[in-house]
Amino acid sequence: MRLSGLQKEVLALYRQCIRECRKKPEANRKHFQAFARSEFDKNIKIDKRDFAAVEFLLRKGRRQLDMYSSPGVKDIK
Amino acid sequence: MAALRSSASLLLGAASRPALRASAAVPAAVRGMAQVSDGQQQNMTASGDKPKLKTFQIYRWNPDTPTEKPKMQSYTLDLNKTGPMVLDALIRIKNELDPTLTFRRSCREGICGSCAMNINGTNTLACLCRIPPEDTAEMKIYPLPHTYVVKDLVPDLTQFYKQYKSIKPYLQRDTPAPDGKEYRQSRADRKKLDGLYECILCACCSTSCPSYWWNSEEYLGPAILLQSYRWLVDSRDEKTAQRKDALNNSMSLYRCHTILNCTRTCPKGLNPGLAIAQIKKEMAF
Amino acid sequence: MASIARSSLLRQVASARPGFQQGVIANATRATAFHTTARRDLLPPLPQRVEGTVNDAAPIPEPSPSHGSYHWTFDRLVAGSLVPLTVAPFAAGSLNPTLDAILCATILIHSHTGFQNIIIDYIPQYRTPRARKFFMWGLNAATAVVGLALYEFETTDVGITETIKRIWKA
Repeated sequence: MRLSGLQKEVLALYRQCIRECRKKPEANRKHFQAFARSEFDKNIKIDKRDFAAVEFLLRKGRRQLDMYSSPGVKDIK
Repeated sequence: MAALRSSASLLLGAASRPALRASAAVPAAVRGMAQVSDGQQQNMTASGDKPKLKTFQIYRWNPDTPTEKPKMQSYTLDLNKTGPMVLDALIRIKNELDPTLTFRRSCREGICGSCAMNINGTNTLACLCRIPPEDTAEMKIYPLPHTYVVKDLVPDLTQFYKQYKSIKPYLQRDTPAPDGKEYRQSRADRKKLDGLYECILCACCSTSCPSYWWNSEEYLGPAILLQSYRWLVDSRDEKTAQRKDALNNSMSLYRCHTILNCTRTCPKGLNPGLAIAQIKKEMAF
Repeated sequence: MASIARSSLLRQVASARPGFQQGVIANATRATAFHTTARRDLLPPLPQRVEGTVNDAAPIPEPSPSHGSYHWTFDRLVAGSLVPLTVAPFAAGSLNPTLDAILCATILIHSHTGFQNIIIDYIPQYRTPRARKFFMWGLNAATAVVGLALYEFETTDVGITETIKRIWKA
């Protein structure tokens, strides 16, 4: 399947999230992965042509990633 | 008409004073609401004006439902019971009509720069923008143009603040003061900072600049360049050459094409266009 | 909250200066008419991309005076020199091929840098590097072609000032 540029960006963001999870303490890694997954699942129904919404969520996701990837964040519920 | 209005408001002011005093005894949490209803009753009886209705069309967009398109929502207020500024109207709408309306505000006197928004097509501070009393046309209120919207009237100014940080807006100096006390400045040198230090970074000018709309990543925009100039002309600053170097490329400064929307829109009456022209002049040759 | 108390105070202050108030409002409406933009944009700006986290400063580009201050000064000098060059043939009342050639060259450089500015504005290197390169080379090619044409025109035909004179009188 050919993906549009925007879809690729979303996938790249998801990959980056999962990668960031590996930098967290061993015991809580699962929590972070589950959280990242749930955040993406929340908006899985959005139409791929709804560019404004997807772009907004991408920006929001990047900001969230910035915040959660700081080394101060050890665990997430 | 203006005279009529002011006399009516004087009446209202006089009439609402006893109500204020009475409500002072009421606990703080409910005081606000009590005042508003008191004021309304007072207004009905004392001035007996017929209501001056005005409709505000306000841009609404909720980030929690990103698939919904942004829309304009109308609110109608009676101007007799509302303060003279657009911010008063917004606060009243939020208090009484729709608590979900979101906007930034803080000082309500034009010194914090929080309530910058696009009112009837002009970027300005809601707290410094009068509701035109005469005309009954709708007022359209949008967030600052060409910014990402966080919610309703709240723009995302991340890039703006990042750019402000990039010009190092603080005194850079290596040599200590000759007398070991504060860094002194002559009156003439201090005078150069007038019209520059008053900028409150409300981003009205930057977001009205077409050049900034297109190149906001690289072009600094009028507000930041005004601040840049403020540090360039400061006689106490010793890193003038470095500051100039940071601007000396095709994007940071020279995307200004003297459109002068910045000067036209500045709610504080400053002249960013002139400041940019001065930087260009100083850097020529 | 407490808007009633505040509004009465503010109104009293404002009513002391009705003239000022009217002036501001008149200004506002005039500005409004000027600022209203069309709903359908011909070429909307591309979305902004923010580099780095919220707390990083925006990147500062390398200083390059040849694209910055020198370029700007050169632009102004060329633009300024066009004024006397345009007036000179009329003032002198006679045609000088050298002057004509200088006028041609200056106009060419002036329009080249002008178009360059437009490309830099609307096709940002940052977001569309390939389109930028394409348009820049396109402009260079166009300038070269026009330069060649003007050279031919100056050497084999009557020259630009004489042409305008003839068109004017035709």
